[in-house]
Amino acid sequence: MVRRMLQESLGFLKREFFKYYYENIGRLVPPEPIRSREFGFFLEKGKGMFRHKCFNSLRDFHEFVLNEVPFDIYVSAANYEDPCNRDMSEKRLVNAELFFDIDAESVSVADSEESAWTCQKCNQYGLGFRDRCPVCGSPTEPVRLVSEKQLKEALRETEKLINVLSKDFGIALEKIHVFFSGNRGYHVHINQEDFLSIMGEGRREIVDYLLVQGLDEKELFDFLNRNVGIESVNPRGIKGRVYRRVLEMAGSMEKHKGGRSRRETVFKMLGNAVEELKVRIDPVVTIDMHRLMRMPESINSNSGMVKKRVQHGDLTFFKPLEEAVAFGEEGVSLKVRVAPRFNLGGKTFGPFKDEEVELPTYAAVYLVCKGLGEYAGR
Amino acid sequence: MGEVSEMTGENVLRAARYPFLPDAKEFISRNIDLSLESLERTGSEAALKRAVERVKDALIFKEVRVSGLNELNYVREMLSFPIAIILVSVVMNEYVRRMYALGESRGAYKRMLNESDETLLYIGEKLGVEGVLDSENTIRVRIPIYLNLAYSFHSPHWKLVNRILDNGYVLVSRSEYARLLQVEVNNYIYEKTLEPVPAGAVPESFKRAVEEIVEVWNKLEAGKPGYAPLKEREDTPPCIARIITRMENGENASHFERLVVATFMIARNRNIDEIIEFFSKQPDYKYGVTKYQVEHLAGLRGGGKKYSVPSCRTILTNGLCHPDEYCRGINHPLRYGEKNAARKPGVS
Repeated sequence: MVRRMLQESLGFLKREFFKYYYENIGRLVPPEPIRSREFGFFLEKGKGMFRHKCFNSLRDFHEFVLNEVPFDIYVSAANYEDPCNRDMSEKRLVNAELFFDIDAESVSVADSEESAWTCQKCNQYGLGFRDRCPVCGSPTEPVRLVSEKQLKEALRETEKLINVLSKDFGIALEKIHVFFSGNRGYHVHINQEDFLSIMGEGRREIVDYLLVQGLDEKELFDFLNRNVGIESVNPRGIKGRVYRRVLEMAGSMEKHKGGRSRRETVFKMLGNAVEELKVRIDPVVTIDMHRLMRMPESINSNSGMVKKRVQHGDLTFFKPLEEAVAFGEEGVSLKVRVAPRFNLGGKTFGPFKDEEVELPTYAAVYLVCKGLGEYAGR
Repeated sequence: MGEVSEMTGENVLRAARYPFLPDAKEFISRNIDLSLESLERTGSEAALKRAVERVKDALIFKEVRVSGLNELNYVREMLSFPIAIILVSVVMNEYVRRMYALGESRGAYKRMLNESDETLLYIGEKLGVEGVLDSENTIRVRIPIYLNLAYSFHSPHWKLVNRILDNGYVLVSRSEYARLLQVEVNNYIYEKTLEPVPAGAVPESFKRAVEEIVEVWNKLEAGKPGYAPLKEREDTPPCIARIITRMENGENASHFERLVVATFMIARNRNIDEIIEFFSKQPDYKYGVTKYQVEHLAGLRGGGKKYSVPSCRTILTNGLCHPDEYCRGINHPLRYGEKNAARKPGVS
């Protein structure tokens, strides 16, 4: 989505985006086969997505990107017989890559010094948290700058996902492609042949598995009643792991009995075990086979950062706010309305309020993309 | 005819027992001229008779039975299957198609339960539902294969979250494996009956057989008591009750939660104004918008499509399922409290 912004700012973004794509067009490689994919683009501010587009070759796709310089580029997870048909059912879906989205905001919340708000109604704005506008009382729109801490936690969640995918689902690491989305989270694409054929209902089952939903509790009570040792619960599969965790907790709980009924206590422990072991993916993204995924190595216009591949060996030390920066250091003048403190490219900026500042290009692009500043020349 | 075949006697009997396997087709094509005219000529009267019996078995008993004697008449048995498919296709009735596929697959399921591990795995392989013997009574099935077959079962023990997963495989028991094969057989046969048969190509004797099937079907339908009208239940399932309570307290509900509540109220015949009134407690309530959306869901606007209440599965996936004892055995919120939702033994 492209926010409302001044013509000068739009021009600034287009110029910078063009430079990036001109330099890096070779890195933009859609999943094969390119002919059976649907593409989608945000081409102009405030307009809807231009979708149902398809390309015959990589060259055509690159040409389109360099000509149009889109704000955002998406490609379908699905392969279709007729990808450019505007009628979804007429596209005739063949299969689709399995893919996951982990959103930093659903994993943890931002600190107040990393937040700001704006009021769409009366144009007020300020730093910190505020639900309602102090002037007109209408609901505010939070400015969402995702912090390093939140992204780190999202990355831990991503590692959890990778672990389950490789251990339980048997997917080799080289078939699990991890990306920083360029803004608020991580995308995980699965490039495993026989998983392509899983239909929507089956994907739902995978989602329920990861979120530990629909667990059969009968057996757990049975285990507890029979007083079995933890070793006798099969740890293969999430159910066994959840049960084991509950049995562990039950073991350490024995001494101090509270006033609660046994059933209640067990459900409480079960809830805690599930919270601990579940993987916080966005269910909708995985279930929807027609979903368009952000194109790897393309710019995310919500931040001006790039959707960046993370190698498995780098997962522990990956620094999204440095490694996904797409633009240079050259100074740019920016009129900033409001911006909480933020880290980018290894530096800390802000907080700013109603001031004109000189920032490196990447930080200026970031604030313009976030709708917090307007371009004021070099 | 048997002497031309390269199959052993045991394998021929197996092909007769499971005539949907490629083995039977192979045997027939190697040994018998399969064109419709020649089928009629070469004394296939017996095969046609057996084909009618297959379909009748499916309609009346919901299970195609194959006796030892049927197996010994293996040529007739193998031929009767493709003929039965043709007959069912010609009947062109969705119910007959489904009942036939169900009857064949259910019969096959029962027979498979008595097979050796080796034969069971062989059938699986031929059906594209490969299994690997793990240990006694345990078979490993690739997760994608499992998911594409097991999703239609409602019992919680089939849910992936309740299964043992190991390195890309789901562990299933022998009988569960046979159950998965049943689904695949059912799908395969149903698909087959959808293939059109050119009207001119159907011989007279087949047409009489089709009439016989239609007659049986009519008798069965006539014997059925008319649908008892659905009892109006005032009970609201716990998932929806929770959302309603939260909304009544002015809590902001998600788009999906609102959809669930609105479609539920529409399904329970609450009038539009009443529903809009309920939504007026939402913090971002706008009369026009709510009216438009509710009317849209009720099918009064747009394409006229009435939206149904999301299924239990969808509600679960959205993290909103909080079942109580009356939820047992149901797969849709509108069936809440239906005690007669008990399922038949052996079928989940």
